[in-house]
Amino acid sequence: MRKNLQRVFALALTGAMMAGTVSAFAAEEATGMDSWTAFEETVELAIPVYDRGAEGVPDVSNNYWTQWIQENFGDQYNINVTFVPITRSDVMTDYALLAAAEDLPTVLMEYDYPKVAQWAADGYLTTIDLDEFAKVAPTYYQSMVDNNQLIYTALGDETYFAMAERPYYNTTYRYQTWVRMDWLREVGYDHVPETREEWVDAMTKIKEAGICEYPGGGFMIGNGSDQTQPWRTYPMDETEWAIHGDYNILPLGWEPNYKLLKSANADYNAGITNPEYYITTQEDAKANFVNGKCYSYSDYIGPVMDTLTAFYEANPDAELAIVPAGATSAEVPAWRAENPFGMIVGFSSFASEDEIKAAWMYMEWLSQEENLFTFQWGIEGENFNYDAETGLPVAVSDYDGEYKQGYNSSKDYWCIVIESKEAGTIEQVVEANTPQDLPQNFTEDIIQFYYDRVELAAQGYGPSDCQFSVPIEAQSEYLTTLQELYKEYRDNLTMCAPEEFDALYEQYAQEYLDAGYQAVIDERLEAYEAGNTTKLPIYE
Amino acid sequence: MAFGKSKTPGLKVHTTWRKALARDWQLYLLLLFPVIMVVVFNYASYPGLRMIFMDYKPAKGYDGSKWVGLGTFEKVFRDKDFHRSLRNSIVFNLLDLAVGFPMPIILALILNELKFPRFKKVTQTILYLPHFLSWVIIGSVAYQLFRPNSGIVNIVMMNWGLIDKGIPFLTEKWHWAVTYLLIGVWQSMGWGTIIYLAAITSISGELYEAAMIDGASRWQRMWHITLPGIKGTVVTLLIMNLGKVMNSNYERLDQFGNTQVKDFQYQLAVYIYDKGLAGSKFSMATAVGLFQSVVGLCLVLIADRVAKALGEDGLI
Repeated sequence: MRKNLQRVFALALTGAMMAGTVSAFAAEEATGMDSWTAFEETVELAIPVYDRGAEGVPDVSNNYWTQWIQENFGDQYNINVTFVPITRSDVMTDYALLAAAEDLPTVLMEYDYPKVAQWAADGYLTTIDLDEFAKVAPTYYQSMVDNNQLIYTALGDETYFAMAERPYYNTTYRYQTWVRMDWLREVGYDHVPETREEWVDAMTKIKEAGICEYPGGGFMIGNGSDQTQPWRTYPMDETEWAIHGDYNILPLGWEPNYKLLKSANADYNAGITNPEYYITTQEDAKANFVNGKCYSYSDYIGPVMDTLTAFYEANPDAELAIVPAGATSAEVPAWRAENPFGMIVGFSSFASEDEIKAAWMYMEWLSQEENLFTFQWGIEGENFNYDAETGLPVAVSDYDGEYKQGYNSSKDYWCIVIESKEAGTIEQVVEANTPQDLPQNFTEDIIQFYYDRVELAAQGYGPSDCQFSVPIEAQSEYLTTLQELYKEYRDNLTMCAPEEFDALYEQYAQEYLDAGYQAVIDERLEAYEAGNTTKLPIYE
Repeated sequence: MAFGKSKTPGLKVHTTWRKALARDWQLYLLLLFPVIMVVVFNYASYPGLRMIFMDYKPAKGYDGSKWVGLGTFEKVFRDKDFHRSLRNSIVFNLLDLAVGFPMPIILALILNELKFPRFKKVTQTILYLPHFLSWVIIGSVAYQLFRPNSGIVNIVMMNWGLIDKGIPFLTEKWHWAVTYLLIGVWQSMGWGTIIYLAAITSISGELYEAAMIDGASRWQRMWHITLPGIKGTVVTLLIMNLGKVMNSNYERLDQFGNTQVKDFQYQLAVYIYDKGLAGSKFSMATAVGLFQSVVGLCLVLIADRVAKALGEDGLI
C-alpha cells in the first residue's frame, strides 16, 4: 500500500514537473527578450526627453548615452531610436504642436494624470492590450503587477497606459529643504523652526538683525505650486479630497487654499517675502540662495547638486540644516505623497504596430537590471566607483568627461522605467543619493527624515491625490484657462493689503468657479459618487 | 501674343513670354523664390481653415473630426478672455502705430541732414542693432534694468535722490504700457529708417540746389522738399501698418509679461497661444487667426480708399 502510494506520488510529482517544464518552456518561448527578433525593415522609435535648459549637461537628443542606446538596443533589433526634446516648463504645448504636425513621438509620457487623460481625450493616444504588452515586456509588466498599478492603466473601459515604478512614493523623502542654520543660531535658535509661529518669529528676527532683507525669498509660481496638504484638516473629508485635492487645477475657494494664501499675504506684507518674487524665476531664486539673499532652498536630492556646491564655494563658513519631517511653516507637517507610479506612459495613435512593439521592447530592455544600472550610474571608474566597505556604487560628483550623463544622472531618460536610483537598503539608497563632496554631510538627517515620514504617512499626513478611472472632460476643457487665472489671482491676493484680502478672495473664488472650476468639481463629484475614483485610506 | 504695351507715350513694346524669359531669366529666377514662399506660407495653408468649422483633433484628422458649423466662432466671441485680448490688441497696436510710426520718419530726416559720412554710418549702424536682438534678450535686459527694487535704473535714481521708491516700470500696468511701447519704438525705429532713407535718395538733388539758391533754410528744405518727396512711401507704409492693427507679437508680449500686468499684456497672440496651442484647441486658434486676418484686410482696404480719396496713390 505504502509502495503504491509512493508510486502514485512519484508519478504525480513527475507529471507535475513535466507539465511545469513544458509550460515554462512554452512561456519562455513566447515572451520576453528571448522571443524577440530584429525587425526586417528599420523601425523608427521616437522617445520624448525633457529639455530643462540646464547648463553643463550634454545635448539631450544626441550624446554618448543616446548613442549607447542605439548601439546596444537599436542596432540589435533594427530600430532607429531618436530622442525628442520636450520643454520641461511647457510640456502640453510641445506635445500639442507635435500632434498638430502629426509628428508625435512613439511614446508620450507625463507624471500627471489629467494631462495624459487630456491626450487620450484628444486622440493622441492609442489603446493597448496589456496581455500583448506582457508578452513583449514581461519584466516591466511584472513590476506594474508588483506595485499594484494595473488599476491605473485604464480610462473608462479602455486601457491606455503602462506605469513606471516610483519607489518610496509615499514619503517623497527625495525632496528636501535646506535652511541657513548659521542665521538661525545668530538670532537665538538652536533648532530649525518647527511651527508657523516659530518660523515667522525666526524670519522676523533675521530680517530685523539685518542678516537678510527678505529671508522668505520666493519665486514666480508654476503649475504644481501652492499645495494645500499642510493647510488641510486631518483626517480629511473624502469627498473634499476627491473634488479639490488635485494639484494641477488649484482649488481657489477651498478653505485650505484660503489659509495658504492668507499666510502668503501676511508674509508678503510683513516684508518676509521678496517683493519681486513674482518676476523672479526659479533659477534666480537659486542664485539668491547662493548669494545669501534668502533663507532656504528646496530641491530633489542627487549625488551632484550644483546649487549646494556653488553655495559652499560662495559661503565657506555657512552652516545648513535640513528641515525635519515634523517641522512646518504652515499648520500641519503634511505633504503631497507622490502618485503610486512614476511616469505614465502612453503610445501615439500615429504609431504603427511595429513602432509600438519597438517601444515596448525598449521599455523591457531598459528594465533589465544590467542595462538600467549602466544607464543610471554610468561607467565604472568614470561616472562612479564602488565603495570598498559597502560594495555600493558612489557617483563621482565632479565628473565632466566623455561619458557625462544628462540632468540628474540621466533621469529624464530612464524615468520611463523607474523614478529613482535604488541600490540596497533605504540607508544605502539615501547614502548613494545624498549630495557628495560637500563640507556638510546630510545622510543621517535624510535617513531620519525618511523614517519620520513613514510614521507620519501611517497617520495619514501624506495623502496621494485622488485618481479618476473615467475621463473628467471639464479638466481637459478648462485646465489651461484655470491655471493661468490662478497665477494672476494668486499674486494679486498675495500682494494686496491685508484688510482687502477677504473681499478679494471671495470675488476671485466666484470668478474662478464661473471660469470653469464649478464644471470641474461637478464632474469630479459625479465620478466620485459613481465609484470611479480611488479611495482615501483609513488610518488608525 | 503681345506681352505688354508701354504706358510711355510714343513708346511701343511688343514682346512674347518666350522672349521675355530668354532675356530676363535671371530676374524671373530670383522672383521664383519669394513666389514659392508666398504660395507655401500664405496660400497652401488655406485648406486648413476648414478646421474652424470642426472640433478639430489632430489625431483624428479632418476626416475624423466632428463638424460644428459656426460653433467655434460662437465659443470665441462669447469668451470674456477673447474680449479682453481683442481690446488690448487694438489699443496697443494703435498706440504702437501712433508712437512708433512717426519715429523712423523723424529719424530718417535727421540722419539725412548729417553731413559727416563716417558719423552718419556709425549712427545708422547703432540704430539698426536693436532690430537684430531677439525679444528674449531685450526682455531679459529690460527686467534687469527696470525691476522695481533691484533694477539698475531705479537703484541709480534712488541713489541720486531723484525718487524715494522704485518706479514699477514693468510691474504696474500703466507704467508697463509706457515702457512696453517705448522699448518697442527703440527696437524698431532704426530699422524703419531704411525705407525712408532709400526714398529720400530718390529725390532729385536739383530741387535742393534750387531751393538753396532761393535761400531756403535747412528746415524749409526738409519741410517743402524731403517730406513731400517721401509722402507716397509714408502713405504706403501707413496703410500696410494699419493691416497689422489686429496682430501682436507673442515673443515680445511673453518676455514682458508678468501676473501684475496681465490686464494689458493679455493680447490676441497670448490668447491664441494659451487657449489655442497650450490647450490643444486648434479650431479656436485658427478662428481667431482668421478673424485677425479678415479685420486686417478690411482695414487695409478702407485705408487704401481713404488715401485715394485724399489724392494719394494708395496701395492696391
